[in-house]
Amino acid sequence: MKKKIVSLLLAGAMVASLTACGNSGSGGQASGGKDGGAKGGNELTVWCWDPAFNIYSMNEAAKVYQKDHPDFKLNVVETPWADVQTKLTTAATSGKLDTLPDIILLQDNAFQKNVLTYPDAFKDITASGIDFTQFAKAKTAYSVVNGKNYGVPFDNGAVVACYRTDILEQAGYKVDDFKDITWSKYQQMGEEILAKTGKPLLSCQAGESDLIMMMLQSAGGSLFDKDGKPSMVGNDKLKKVMETYASLVKSGVLIEVNDWDQYVGTLTNSTVGGTINGCWIMASIQTAEDQSGKWAITNMPKLEGVDGATNYSNNGGSSWAITSACKNTDLAYDFMAKTFAGSTSFYETILPKSGALSTYLPAAQSKVYAEPQKFFGDAPVYATITDFASKIPSNNTGVYYYEARDAVATAITNVVAGADIDAEIKTAEDTVNFAMGK
Amino acid sequence: MDNSKKKLSLGQKQSLAGWAFLTPAVLFIAVMSFLPMIQALFLSFKSGAGANLSWTGVTNYVRMFQDPVFMQALKNNFIYLIIQVPIMLILALILASLLNNKDLRFKGLFRTAIFLPCATSLVSYAVIFRSLFAVDGLVNTILIKLGFLSTGYNFLGHPNSARIVIILALIWRWTGYNMVFYLSGLQNIEYSIYESAKIDGASPIQSFWGITVPLLKPTILLTAIMSTNGTLQLFDESVNLTYGGPSNATITMSHYIYNVSFKYVPNFGYAAAMSYLILFLVAVLAFLQMKVGDKRD
Repeated sequence: MKKKIVSLLLAGAMVASLTACGNSGSGGQASGGKDGGAKGGNELTVWCWDPAFNIYSMNEAAKVYQKDHPDFKLNVVETPWADVQTKLTTAATSGKLDTLPDIILLQDNAFQKNVLTYPDAFKDITASGIDFTQFAKAKTAYSVVNGKNYGVPFDNGAVVACYRTDILEQAGYKVDDFKDITWSKYQQMGEEILAKTGKPLLSCQAGESDLIMMMLQSAGGSLFDKDGKPSMVGNDKLKKVMETYASLVKSGVLIEVNDWDQYVGTLTNSTVGGTINGCWIMASIQTAEDQSGKWAITNMPKLEGVDGATNYSNNGGSSWAITSACKNTDLAYDFMAKTFAGSTSFYETILPKSGALSTYLPAAQSKVYAEPQKFFGDAPVYATITDFASKIPSNNTGVYYYEARDAVATAITNVVAGADIDAEIKTAEDTVNFAMGK
Repeated sequence: MDNSKKKLSLGQKQSLAGWAFLTPAVLFIAVMSFLPMIQALFLSFKSGAGANLSWTGVTNYVRMFQDPVFMQALKNNFIYLIIQVPIMLILALILASLLNNKDLRFKGLFRTAIFLPCATSLVSYAVIFRSLFAVDGLVNTILIKLGFLSTGYNFLGHPNSARIVIILALIWRWTGYNMVFYLSGLQNIEYSIYESAKIDGASPIQSFWGITVPLLKPTILLTAIMSTNGTLQLFDESVNLTYGGPSNATITMSHYIYNVSFKYVPNFGYAAAMSYLILFLVAVLAFLQMKVGDKRD
């Protein structure tokens, strides 16, 4: 009898879990169908991923637009970036483009790849009435394919160098000593700080090429030429970047950690005296509330002996794309033009709560951007960053950007371990050429 | 209606009912599993970026042997296979025969404790191993406290130590799983055999090699094939524990297939071809193991 009851319960549990699976599955299906931008009217559907950041911004944009268009409805579906990419790939390869929403948010690094691989999935918005000249040029370049605009720039990935003023002080330095400097000056001061405080100045994630790419772009360099062909061998900028990176690691000024959590840990646990990354890193820095007032930002060091070297670069960021599934394109264009590409007050609303720094240049003149930030020693950091953003040289990401990034990351790991730079760059280019089918 | 029913004998009726019950499952497996496999086979003869696929014959199969990253991944998979699988299976066998001892107390507790790792999620255990072996992680802290190291060693930053960490993680995760198979196999061996061996003066080690191992051969064969299969398809550890690094020293074939499909410019044809190579390798190795292991008369 007991056995019977147990087996009955088990069977019941199985049926319940099966139906639960079925439900969630069909639920997903149904919402998938509903998400499709196939309907007209006053509704737009959007995929983006961060509730505190881009979803929040999108919803605020809808509120701004609703003031003049009370009938307008916006349906934001929270979709993690990896899922956006997978769903987009699935929709485009299976030819079911109508499963896409009207607007999707794309990582800038993946923008070119997706537009070139799935040209049918996106709308050319060059003549949509959106004024692209109002955005930072390097930022807009990510979403321009063959001279046509496919995206509305959103968040800012301008590179900032953040320093712990209290640690710098122990070695007798101030943040201003790090403004407009070169990497060798940086390393020299870093070695001194390391000797006096035992703290490296910089940390980064091993096996990732973020720092390499930031250094490269700061001198206007790219891994690809204008035609999308890899240009690594004979690329003096890339070689200089690799030398600089390897020398930083060797000196102990730069420490490599294995994953993102450890990287953020080095910042919040005061293991390092500073960091260099896209300005979005400031959100992670600010989670260490006890360090309030001890941080300051300035621009990044520049490469030495390289043409076009600057103290400005970019890392990360995303842009809005309008898909070909969008039936009500006039509405989508007008919505974007009046919010993300035309409203300073909109950016003023989203900045304090989300820290979503725009690449929309007129917003930089706003008072909200000029407000002092207590965490960063009462400096008006947001205005500073928007100013940085306007000075960034652009780079070519091309279609095979992720392949190239990984190949370069492999190369730098070997270079740090003692391999020859030229040989490793050659291997990296071969890897990318191989991926491109050559 | 009645007439047609009468034509069927009882046996026919029963087998008809049997087929009726089987049909839905067979249909589902055919449509959901075999059909995609056949489609993947066709796909593996096509190539191109994303949706722009065209027939290219065996190009993909030639291409993978010229692909340095894939060759590295293949090598890594075989390193894991050759080192990890034997260690794990021997360890599982030893643990199983220890736990099979009738006089052992708290057997249930030990069994649960050893089996528990394989009930943990693949991703979370990989993440925990990563933090254990971090530069400022538990393992380094202990080694520094004991005086073996002066500063933290970056286990995941060096090719060989990173591979060892993956192998350790795999052993921790899967030994208990294989042990359960051996334990159930051991239940089929009469305890009196051990007793008579003991009376004849056999040591525990002798009875282990003389009785346990030969009688467990079918189970050992099963676990060896399953472990080979699992190791060749290794994915989560490479993705979550080491990210395939440093410089592809720990990347596995499945991880690279994932990159080719979703991280890089998608080339599904090439990815499908690499998947078929894994299938082929698993089939060949399983066949060899059956030939070597199965010596029934």
